[in-house]
Amino acid sequence: MKATSEEVQTSVKKLFEDGSIGHFIGYETGSDSLHVTPCFLKSGQAASRLVWNPLCANNLSKYLLDFKNVEGKVGIMVKGCDSRSVVELLKENQIDRDKVFIVGVPCSGIVDREKLLEVLGISPAEVVAVEDDGDAFLVTLKGGTQRVDKEKVLRGECLVCKYPTPLVYDVLLGEAVSSLPWVGDDYSLIKEQEALSSEEKALHWNRELSQCIRCYACRNICPVCTCPECIFDKKAPRWITKANDVSENLVYHLVRAFHVAGRCIDCGECERACPMNIPLRSLNKKVEKDLLELFDYTAGIDVEQQPPLTTYQVGDLDEFL
Amino acid sequence: MQDSKEVQTEFKPKILAFCCNWCAYAGADLAGVSRFQMPTDVRVIRVMCSGRVPPELIIRALANGLDGVMILGCHPGECHYSEGNYLTRRRAHVLKRLLSYIGIEPERFQLRWVSAAEGAKFSAVVKETTDKITALGPNRWVDKR
Amino acid sequence: MVRQTKSRIIEKNRLTELLDKLAQDYYLIAPVRDNNVSFRRVGSGSEVTLDYINPVLSPKNAFFPQTETLFRFSRDDSRGSGTEPGAEADREQVIFGIRPCDARSLRLMDMVFNGQYKDSYYLNRREKTTLIGLACFDPAETCFCPTFGIDPASGEDVDILFSDIGDRYLVEASTEKGAALLDRFAKFFAELRGDEEQLREARKAGLAGMKKLDVKAIADKMAPLYEGDYWESIGMKCLGCGICTYLCPTCHCFDIADVSLDEGGERFRCWDSCMFPEFTLMASGENPRPNRKARIQQRFFHKFKYFHDRNGELACVGCGRCLRYCPVNIDITQIIEDVTSGKAGNE
Repeated sequence: MKATSEEVQTSVKKLFEDGSIGHFIGYETGSDSLHVTPCFLKSGQAASRLVWNPLCANNLSKYLLDFKNVEGKVGIMVKGCDSRSVVELLKENQIDRDKVFIVGVPCSGIVDREKLLEVLGISPAEVVAVEDDGDAFLVTLKGGTQRVDKEKVLRGECLVCKYPTPLVYDVLLGEAVSSLPWVGDDYSLIKEQEALSSEEKALHWNRELSQCIRCYACRNICPVCTCPECIFDKKAPRWITKANDVSENLVYHLVRAFHVAGRCIDCGECERACPMNIPLRSLNKKVEKDLLELFDYTAGIDVEQQPPLTTYQVGDLDEFL
Repeated sequence: MQDSKEVQTEFKPKILAFCCNWCAYAGADLAGVSRFQMPTDVRVIRVMCSGRVPPELIIRALANGLDGVMILGCHPGECHYSEGNYLTRRRAHVLKRLLSYIGIEPERFQLRWVSAAEGAKFSAVVKETTDKITALGPNRWVDKR
Repeated sequence: MVRQTKSRIIEKNRLTELLDKLAQDYYLIAPVRDNNVSFRRVGSGSEVTLDYINPVLSPKNAFFPQTETLFRFSRDDSRGSGTEPGAEADREQVIFGIRPCDARSLRLMDMVFNGQYKDSYYLNRREKTTLIGLACFDPAETCFCPTFGIDPASGEDVDILFSDIGDRYLVEASTEKGAALLDRFAKFFAELRGDEEQLREARKAGLAGMKKLDVKAIADKMAPLYEGDYWESIGMKCLGCGICTYLCPTCHCFDIADVSLDEGGERFRCWDSCMFPEFTLMASGENPRPNRKARIQQRFFHKFKYFHDRNGELACVGCGRCLRYCPVNIDITQIIEDVTSGKAGNE
């Protein structure tokens, strides 16, 4: 069974009380019953604000970078995907394992708000709550309840999730989930794209990238974008101008995809954050697929595993000659 | 006298070649000294090691309007800095596939191994790449020149 | 009350034809559905969608483009240099489908670009544009324009207002520019039948539950919150991206840069965001807004105090885009309530 909000609240309160943590990063209800927002606690007093439900999309591990120099341990709630970015942060010594208390919550899918509203044909004001119900979501509306198949309304990254249970944690709240029934070939969409001609691909990406307004939400929400000074903020050398024509946008997205290569764990936050609905996961998923095929590498699984582009094998594939 | 008719000119590609100082650049030198004939569309930039060429440089070059970019380095096992070219190799695999995925033909980005003694190979590689990219036509990603 | 100079109706099945004609005679900008709905240049009426509440980007792009060439320069004059604006600045524009909140935002932008300093680039476009608004009867849950005295069914800030009253559109021109356009395309319009006001009132029933926050004296209530911790937790959540500023119809900060190529180049201006860390970074390395708390605090102070102190109006129109698209769900309506209720001072 998935842990309830109350179980999370009780556990966190206890963690503060017994001195295990001095801070906590979790979720609380947001602007309406279809939103949650990150919650930062300094004591157990406000622990009753915490929630855990299928709306909890945010990857909170990004915020660990803000807590590097605080007194006391910082507790954090992580789903399966989030724990993988924690593994990557540990790999790169961005965070100290001894200063973090990881509350793991096995997850069986996060709901995509827009898909839910469309499938049920309702407006946001009618929704009271969304709860997990096995292979479906139970949506409480003002006029009754509705059960909707998860597969129809899940976020894209949940449809291909291979790690629903956190891989690193200090305490696990809720029953571990070994696998999700709807997960098949996670690269089917990538393969479809790969099969197009160069001209079709260029047309498709030109169209998508010309919509980019360079708000940098994708970079800022990404847990593995950790550079204190991002390459795109540097003035000397200046890699891209602030002008948002398609060439600058191309450089931004391709370079970022390359910089997170081997570190991106497909939490999907970049695509969720994008206000222009650009299919960003597709770029990162392509690199993820190549790294698996070329170097048998999967990000966010093993803290000891070397990032693939910082190492080599003498016998590596060589197409170049 | 103004000729306002558009004259149909043959497409001449602009290609950059990052050549590592110890092997490829020396090989390019040798090609020149040996008077090997090759197309003149490739512009050479000398770097100390092929491993210092970051992906952003390649991507920036292609976005700026270059029709092709090459990295020429020491053969694996012969890098002047021992390991540089092994890292280049891994990086190039990923970059080539990523570029292809967004519609930049894989032939536009080349990584080749050219040693200091391979003047003939240098000119052959330059000719081969220039021919391939001429056939592909201008880089369609760039809408400004 | 809107000063109406001309009222007509247009049958719904004639709208596409009208838009076709507008697209031929003008540079027509209208909502288009792609990945989502945005204002785009359209070549025909069939490209236009009316199935939207509000496009993701405000129409400020039509007056204050995200990237705008200020002038070109070259070593030799044959390549063209000087400050002559390009051909695009000469075009007559029509924006169709602008909502009353976005239309009001243009008045606020006018205070910046047509205030003490006249911005010729903005003003030129503003003068050459006719605004055709679309009344709002089905607002989103994130909309709160009545807070700022904006009536979603009124055409106060546009040249012509279209209102969908069921089987037809009520078309009301409230400026000379709007009346002239109605005359020019007179064959598409017909006389009123008499029941239009009644039908409009019925449609306005959907606006009854709209959020109308109390912003009386909010500028004064902001002042004591300058020091203090209210903005701490908001700054912690904030990612420091540019979504709120870029989507906001009244945000107007920009940067200027030069791009030089071989024989010449251009100077352009482009949108900038106070949420970016290097926005206030100085050459010495000093940054007066060094963290997200300082930056997000400044954003709300600008909107609800500094702009008000300078121009007499709050720099917000309640379109709700910042709330809708913020990836971490920072809620401007909650912040307004916290400030005006005094809760923010007690945190």
